[in-house]
Amino acid sequence: MRSVDRLHGEVREYLALQTRRHFLRSGLACLGGLWLLEQGIVAAPRREQQSVDPLAARSPHFRPRAKYVIHLHMTGAPSHLELFDYKPALVKYNGKDCPKEYLEGRRFAFITGVPQLLGPLYPFHQDPKTGIWISDRLPEFEKQLDKVCIIKSMRSNQFNHAPAQLLILTGNTNLGYPSIGAWTLYGLGSENRDLPGYVVLLSGGQNPDAGKAAWGSGFLPSIYQGVQCRSKGDPVLFLSNPPGINRKLRGKTIEAIRQINERTYRELGDREILTRIAQYEMAFRMQISATEAMDITQEPDYIHKMYGTKPGQESFANNCLLARRLIERGVRYVQLFDWGWDHHSGLDTAFPKKCQQIDRPIAALLKDLDQRGLLDETLVIWGGEFGRTPMQENRGGMKAKSPGRDHHIDAFTIWMAGAGIKGGMTYGETDEIGFSVVKDPVSIHDLHATILYLLGLDHRKLSFFFQGLDQTLTGVAEPSRVVHEIIG
Amino acid sequence: MRYRLPAGSNLSRANRFPAPHVALAVVVACCWFSGSAVARADEPVDFNRQIRPIFARHCIACHGGVTRSGGMSFLYPETVLPPGDAVVVPGKPEESELFRRITSTDPDYRMPPPEKGDGLREEEIELIRRWIAQGARWAPHWAYVPPQRPPYPKLSLTAWPQQPLDVYVLAQLERMGLSPASEASRLQWLRRVSFDLTGLPPEEELVRAFLSDERPDAHSRVVDRLLASPRYGERWASPWLDLARYADSQGYEKDNLRTMWPYRDWVIRAFNADLPFDLFTIKQLAGDLLPDATLEDILATAFHRNTPTNAEGGTDDEEFRLVAVIDRVNTTWEVWQGITFNCVQCHNHPYNPIEHRDYYRFLALFNTTRDWDLRNDKPLLQVPRDRKRFAEARKLDRERYRLELEQVTETRQLAAATPWHYLRPVHAVSTGLTELVVKQDSQGVPEIHTAGTVSHDSRFDLHFELPDGMQRITALLVEVLPRDPRKAVHTPELGFEISELKAELLVRVTEGGQTKQEHRSVRLAWALGDETVPFDDPQATLNPDKWGWGANPRMCHVRRLVVVPAEPIELPDGHVRLRLVIRQEAAPHDLAPLVMNRSRYAVTDAPLWTDYVRSSAFRERQRRLADLRRQRRAIASVGVPVMMEQDPWLRRVTAVFRRGDWRDKTDVVEPGLPAMFRVPDQPQDRLGLARWLVSEDNPLTARVTVNRFWQELFGVGIVETSGDFTLSGQPPVNQPLLDYLAVRFARDYRWSMKRLLREIVLSATYRQSARVEDDKLAVDPQNRYLSRGPRLRLTAEMVRDNALAVSGLLSTKMFGKPVMPPQPEGIWRAARSSLRWKTDTGADRYRRGVYVIWRRSSPYPSFMIFDAPQRLVCSSRRVATNTPLQALVTLNDQAYIECAVALADWMLQLPVTEPRARIAAAYRRATGRAADEQVLRTLLHVYRVARATYEKEPELARQLAGSAERSALALVANTILNLDEILNR
Repeated sequence: MRSVDRLHGEVREYLALQTRRHFLRSGLACLGGLWLLEQGIVAAPRREQQSVDPLAARSPHFRPRAKYVIHLHMTGAPSHLELFDYKPALVKYNGKDCPKEYLEGRRFAFITGVPQLLGPLYPFHQDPKTGIWISDRLPEFEKQLDKVCIIKSMRSNQFNHAPAQLLILTGNTNLGYPSIGAWTLYGLGSENRDLPGYVVLLSGGQNPDAGKAAWGSGFLPSIYQGVQCRSKGDPVLFLSNPPGINRKLRGKTIEAIRQINERTYRELGDREILTRIAQYEMAFRMQISATEAMDITQEPDYIHKMYGTKPGQESFANNCLLARRLIERGVRYVQLFDWGWDHHSGLDTAFPKKCQQIDRPIAALLKDLDQRGLLDETLVIWGGEFGRTPMQENRGGMKAKSPGRDHHIDAFTIWMAGAGIKGGMTYGETDEIGFSVVKDPVSIHDLHATILYLLGLDHRKLSFFFQGLDQTLTGVAEPSRVVHEIIG
Repeated sequence: MRYRLPAGSNLSRANRFPAPHVALAVVVACCWFSGSAVARADEPVDFNRQIRPIFARHCIACHGGVTRSGGMSFLYPETVLPPGDAVVVPGKPEESELFRRITSTDPDYRMPPPEKGDGLREEEIELIRRWIAQGARWAPHWAYVPPQRPPYPKLSLTAWPQQPLDVYVLAQLERMGLSPASEASRLQWLRRVSFDLTGLPPEEELVRAFLSDERPDAHSRVVDRLLASPRYGERWASPWLDLARYADSQGYEKDNLRTMWPYRDWVIRAFNADLPFDLFTIKQLAGDLLPDATLEDILATAFHRNTPTNAEGGTDDEEFRLVAVIDRVNTTWEVWQGITFNCVQCHNHPYNPIEHRDYYRFLALFNTTRDWDLRNDKPLLQVPRDRKRFAEARKLDRERYRLELEQVTETRQLAAATPWHYLRPVHAVSTGLTELVVKQDSQGVPEIHTAGTVSHDSRFDLHFELPDGMQRITALLVEVLPRDPRKAVHTPELGFEISELKAELLVRVTEGGQTKQEHRSVRLAWALGDETVPFDDPQATLNPDKWGWGANPRMCHVRRLVVVPAEPIELPDGHVRLRLVIRQEAAPHDLAPLVMNRSRYAVTDAPLWTDYVRSSAFRERQRRLADLRRQRRAIASVGVPVMMEQDPWLRRVTAVFRRGDWRDKTDVVEPGLPAMFRVPDQPQDRLGLARWLVSEDNPLTARVTVNRFWQELFGVGIVETSGDFTLSGQPPVNQPLLDYLAVRFARDYRWSMKRLLREIVLSATYRQSARVEDDKLAVDPQNRYLSRGPRLRLTAEMVRDNALAVSGLLSTKMFGKPVMPPQPEGIWRAARSSLRWKTDTGADRYRRGVYVIWRRSSPYPSFMIFDAPQRLVCSSRRVATNTPLQALVTLNDQAYIECAVALADWMLQLPVTEPRARIAAAYRRATGRAADEQVLRTLLHVYRVARATYEKEPELARQLAGSAERSALALVANTILNLDEILNR
């Protein structure tokens, strides 16, 4: 587009500044920007008339290990006892009444009275390379264990899906708190302004139990909420031009809107109008860049083979590949949700199918990121919202027909990879039946503190003043710690 | 001084200025406005403005509400000033420990300790010195002192004010060296006021009439007209519904829909009727407790039933009931008091003199309603679909309640007077895994306890010995007890529900030398419960369905059911036992089996029960109750969750949670207001609370409320943190203005929201031009001092409503169930839910935003993108952002394309055919003003390119709107609907 006059020059300068991630000069500060200032997240601009772009990339508190995060959330909570936490004793005690001391004073979601223990349904073996014990359900992933740190000592305090998902994703069991992706975007901004900085991808056909709150911005400005990208329909809501408006015509309308808005600016001097002009032009660019980023048909065959992707499907495999493409383009936080891991029954039928769906894509993602040199600066996290009971479910005080496990908060397993995480190791231990953590417990807030630490953010300093408190992701109730032992 | 009174308006009296005390005003104004921290040495130090912030900044982290190192708190004068362990000796800085410590160079003595933070700055130390020297006068935080009408300030630009509030704005502008902006054009003001009052652009006819109206009261005529429009309530409902966290769904997981819309309609009607804010408050918080509560008064209490319900399987209903109650407590404080009460859940308030215990005293006010996080959201008020039947329905409900109360009271009295014989079980088994064990209580009364795993659908089979010599049974008593009755009053135990109770006699008969047991069934006639208006009818205990008497889902107290046969059960001679078969199949809401864990059984042969059920009074009442239920069912209604108190004898007791953890309780507390606010003579219930909130003693309600109105009109409140008026929030940028408005609102206007708005929108402050002048930016970049008029982006609902209005599609149909306008595929996919979005057709497709269905897990996407909150919790303020995703909505969303095509059709039906004239007309329709040459040229260029393209590619045109002409105009309309001036008010 041509530069028409001084004003347009100013708009250009504004955009240039924005893409160069500088604070911009603007008379009426956009509110989000001022909030950042008040929060002390960004340094005060030099002059009072300046404001800040709430999404501009910002320096972290200290040297980061991770620039990007891919968070693979298995909605419903996969069984640690069928995948990662090998318990020979549980094989031995299969079918026996659960000892009283495990049950006293505890409440479960569905188990009542005295349930029976349930041995792992699948055989475990030791990975020769790393010595890690793993079941036979993830044969491809197994080959990547040298990149992965398995944490077996996670604990939650919520045994229902929605509150537990809120806890692991927002640090709080109640509704209304910002998700970890929102905190990250708030702390670090985004490197690519033609794409949302925080993208959410769903597979399995349903949203997580916590709903949109799982990627919401809570009390942070709504600009920090996750943007759901979709495999069907527009990759970003309202991205494509409606039928009958092609790109050329859309370009004309954007140009006309700019010209008339510039005139409005001359009339009123409201710098928010300049921001709007810039946002329309960014939207116009996003139509190309987001479509391009979400178009996996551009990938070569060997990539599709590696991930097991089929363009046009809504699948976990496609989402893994998309996650890599988005990270490549500078998206800060990519959050995947895969529905279907709540195995109250069907550990023998539905569960192995789910394992199959994620095995190859996850292995491919780790390998692919590594080959592209992205794994060094990308943190990959895998896990659910809690674990599963070593006991067989006995819902309603009845015997279950198909083997399944109830929700379990006292121990569960997640893993992390990339961004300085030590590969080929496990951290933490549970007791002989996998009920409780006996060594190196990691709370959800410890996990959050660790993720922020890897991003170069201090969990005590990344705060937002709300309701009379400097609110943080990790909260004030108990001190949280960074799990340094797993960082290389 | 000049101000205009609307001729013949009933507002004239209230509009009159307070008598100006000019002489005093000059002096006080100086104090009010002396903003800088250090003033002249002889000037009195203002504790709140100058000293308290120093304490807040440097001291209260360690000496505050949560931590009181050395027993010292700077929130309470008792630990700072004499008598007592004072750290301040009034009048003598050098003898005061406080002063010695902040000035000490000894790192062990100095405060704050070097590792805790920097010492006080010199000017702060000087202020403390002067404050002590002047006598160390303590004053409560400004927000805790009821507002007084501020004195009249001294002004130089006396011709500017139009309304009394303007003098307080002007006084500050003059102090800051600013001058007001010129008056906005009539059109700019009209557009602004029209959106602000009705959420819609001014109708063309109103624009024409107003622009040519030369009468001096033209402005106030417009305002009165807008305030009288039904659109007013629809616009002002939205911010209130944000506070009320109103939504059409339950919130968690499946996020099922529930019927809350009658409450939304109540809010719209309340605004339109200008229900004074004090009544608006009382009805929503305690309408059910009003002596002559109408059906609408009860409906209003749905305000606090907007809390999310967790219907996820396996959730603890008591836990999520408490989450809801805590939400009600916090929301009440945020909405009416601008105080964040949340922190007190776990510990004393860090910044305010509110103690941990106070939280639970307050929580107790909300802890005795009957709701229990049930999937069906009971208790529900049956709201007739036809409003004309409200009174009739309410009359039936009242009578039913009165009769049930009589019935339950009599049953309880009779039961207490009855000589009961507790029965000893000789056989007690259950189906499922449930084990039954017979125990005895301390008095030797036999009881049946469950043990081990308790199954759903447990059916008890109980055989009892009967007392020796008993001839007949006139009544049977079923008593269900908590395992730990002392604890259960505040920590309820799992409840139970009896689906069916059957009785028979087991008679041993000898026939032909053979002894066998004969089962003789017994006809039971009445099952009399112990609760008024229970969720399920106790009489159903005698029917073979799933429902009956019980405590679903939890129990706090001993529960009693009296079962009476129509005629006494005559016991045959010989060996007779009583057998009870008790089915318990009610589907629980949280999957905990609804089975009696501890129960005991008794019979009596006293004739009083037989006499009672035979009495005509009893029979007449039962007949009448059946009639009432039948008549009420005949009134077509929808069930809306409302607040309903528990019967006094079944009420929960509240105990303090240790560190905010509901599982760990300490002392029991009585309901009441926090000590710092406690007012004698108010009943300590929700109604007393509501009345206190709007009483003259309350320092905050009026301020917090006027501040929210101000925020809606000017973008930022006078107190920027509109949900936090305490020490942790921002101080008011102009306290005299805030206090003036508060007094004006509560006293002069008797809480009339319309009159308050009227004064604001007619003020010179509001009428200023929104043009940003470079020379003012340095002093007033954010327009906090109001040196120009407001210019705000439209709210989420307004963006939609405006496009519909401009394009002529808008339906003005009001009220009723929520609507589903077009939204992209696949938005609704909540976990474990099969609810489907069904796009409305016809008028419902084009209803105002306030009627669009609000499902919490996936709210209407374009509203979210335009900064609407998710309505999960109370939300005091929407911060407007400016993002590319917003551009994509108004450019591409089908809902907006429909508007563009409709606007094209509007152009096509004009008498003119010239594209230029059509486009000019559309621009005028959309903005209210004539397009200048440059705008027209730009839009015409879009038209020409589009027209040429569509002629060349008719298929493309067909996809948008059909013909090339219609499509080209639609593209122009799409452009117009995306202009900055369209998206702002």
